[in-house]
This record gives sequence, structure tokens and C-alpha cells, in this order.
Amino acid sequence: MPARIPAGSIALWRTQSGRVTASADRCPHRGMRLSHGFVRGEALSCIYHGWSYGQTGECLRIPAHPGLTPPETIRVAAHAVEEAWGVIWVAVGETTAEPPRFEGFVPLRSLTAHADLATLKAATGATAGTAGLDWPAPGAPEIRLLSVPQEGYETLIHVLVPGDSSPAQRIAASRAAETLRRTAEDIQAKGLAPWSTTR
Amino acid sequence: MKLYDYILSPSCYKVRLMAALTGVKLDIRPVDFHPGAEHRGQELLALNPAGSIPILEDGDLILTESSAMLVYLAAKVAPSWLGSGGAEETARVQQWLSFSSRLTASLGGARLHEMLLRPGDFGALQSQGIASLRELEAGLVEQGLHGMGFLASDRPTVADIACFPYVVLAPDGGVSLDPYPAIRLWSRALRSLENFIEMPGIHRLHELKPEPHIEPGKV
Repeated sequence: MPARIPAGSIALWRTQSGRVTASADRCPHRGMRLSHGFVRGEALSCIYHGWSYGQTGECLRIPAHPGLTPPETIRVAAHAVEEAWGVIWVAVGETTAEPPRFEGFVPLRSLTAHADLATLKAATGATAGTAGLDWPAPGAPEIRLLSVPQEGYETLIHVLVPGDSSPAQRIAASRAAETLRRTAEDIQAKGLAPWSTTR
Repeated sequence: MKLYDYILSPSCYKVRLMAALTGVKLDIRPVDFHPGAEHRGQELLALNPAGSIPILEDGDLILTESSAMLVYLAAKVAPSWLGSGGAEETARVQQWLSFSSRLTASLGGARLHEMLLRPGDFGALQSQGIASLRELEAGLVEQGLHGMGFLASDRPTVADIACFPYVVLAPDGGVSLDPYPAIRLWSRALRSLENFIEMPGIHRLHELKPEPHIEPGKV
């Protein structure tokens, strides 16, 4: 699937055996987005000409040249990835830090808002916790928000809820997140809102 | 059963897909929609005064709305595609069937603007398309929380087929699908169905088939 980190666009993929890889989102052959590709077994294949890549980025196979062992110079950059408590963390560059823990919380859903982080904070009245925003949403359980700035004024919001929430509470949390997005986008639109003319 | 069809039309594809999934053989009559505008000619206007395609003809019956065609095919040969018949599920099917016309107007309008230079407020069409995609995404999230992977039920219905094509082709109208993880999973589930067929821009899942192997000398 496609994802965005400060270093640019990535193809985030999980092998059949369950291992997660974050590759640069560009096939070295013709520049096609690898996030349009597909995972078969332990390899990611480009949708365009089927060149396939392993988890460390090495090219494994070029279908149009079945007898050829691809040279080692054909590589896709890969970022360090760690999966913890249902959240996938991608490191830009070297890192030794452990990803934050969210004990007791589980991921609910992710959504994108046309609003920046400051606007989002203003819309929630949330307090910045040790990791993410703790938001006392009206009519829903305590919600934790993780935000990832995207291009322009967009923000990707990951919504986490307590692991013991009932299905009804989770639906209430999902609807609260929709309301939060509307509120934040209203504030953003009344302010600068350059996105409203471009999208 | 005769379908007046255009290969690049998502609404025509809905009917071809439904027929393939339910094992109905259609007699396909290709229409020169572009550049010939054959759907606005006398022969087709006699069948459908609204001048739109698809048109489905079965004996005396002439249908001009794709949602009605999906329901007709399902009722005739595969009633499970209409849902289980419970009040809530029946209403959900109708809800998303009606909703699908908003996808056609918004995402479909943006796509026609980009592909065939149709007039229209491109920015407004895209915004309406994004609003519709958000609604669909939220609906699928809630269905998922009820343990159901499809719009109206735990199995696909005509509602899913009615919404699927214009959603998947949203990028043709400059609307990205990247922000919608639930839509992505739903789209994969539909493309994994047995007897799924493609249209230009909507491909099958290559990973469902084993890797093809070609002998080195045969290329």
C-alpha cells in the first residue's frame, strides 16, 4: 500500500509470512510506483513489467529475461520498520530509539484531514500526551490520536481506542473522528485554506 | 439478454461484471459512445430516450438504469446477491444502490471531464467525489466493526457491484484513493471473487495466480 513519510512516498508491504517492509515507492526500471504492485510470497512485484524485489531491496527477478540473475546494482531503497502494538513505525535514516508503546490501546482506523496539526489540536482541545494526542471525545471512549503530516496542509490521523472498547463504543469513536475532521477542516478553511482551491 | 455496451463505461462494466459473477451469458452489442455518440442516435434513443448507456434488453423488458439491471440479474439467477431479506440489510442495499448515483455524478463526472473534456466544474466534482469516498470509507469501517466485509452484508451484494467501478476508477478523474484503507481492502475482496472480470483501469489481483515461468530460450 502507498504511505507517506518525511522522506517521501513509500510502498509499505507485508510478505506472505507476515514481515513488513517499507520500500521507496519507485521501481528503478521505469519509475512506476511500487505501491501499485503486488506481493507474491516474499517478494514485491512492480505492476508495470513485473520486476520483483526482496525485503532488503535487491532485485530478484526480471520476467522478460528469465535466464538472467539480476545484477546487485539494481536495488530499491528500504527503510527500517518496526511493528509494535498494532502500529507500524518507519524510521527515516538510522535510529536506535524504540517506538513508543500504547499499552491498553488498539488501532481503530486511519483518516486524512485537509488541516494541519495546529488546527487539529485547536479542534480537539486535546492535551499532548507522552505519545500522540489524548482526546476526551464527547460520547465516545478516551481516544488517542497519532498524527502524521502529509503534503501541503494534509494530516494523516491514526485513531486508537482502549482495547476493551465494545463495538458500539468503537463505532462512536469512528463517528467522533469524522466530526473532528469536519471541525478541523472548517477552522482551516476559514483561515488560510490554500487546499480548497487546489483540490 | 442483450446489453448495449461501451468498454470504457463503468456503468456498463457493472452489468458485465454482475453477469460474469452470476454466470449469465450476455449478448453484447457494442455502442460507439465516443467519438460516434451512437447513444444519441435514433436507434438507441428509441430504446432509451434519455440517451444513456447501458441498455439491457430481455424480451419486452428494456432497462436503462444500471442498478435495476444488477437487481434483475440477481433476482433471476442469484437471489443471494440481493441480501438475506432482513429489514436492515434490505435497507442497506437500497441505501448504497441510491448512493452509487452520487459516485457516478461526482467521480464519474470528474473522469469524463479528464478523459473526454466534458464541461463542468472540475474542482467541485472532485470535492463531491472526495466527500462520497469518505462516506463509503466510514460505512465500510462500521461494517468491519460489525464483522462484515461488504457494504450491506458479510457477503457481496448488488450494492457492492453498483459502487465498485466508479470508486476504483477515481484516479482517472484526478482523485487519489491513497487515503482510504477500508476501501482498499474492500476493493481487494471484490477483485478476489471467483469469475471476476476486468475492464480497462480495473485489473485482477495478479498474486492470486502462481508466478508464470518462461523458459529462457522462448522469449
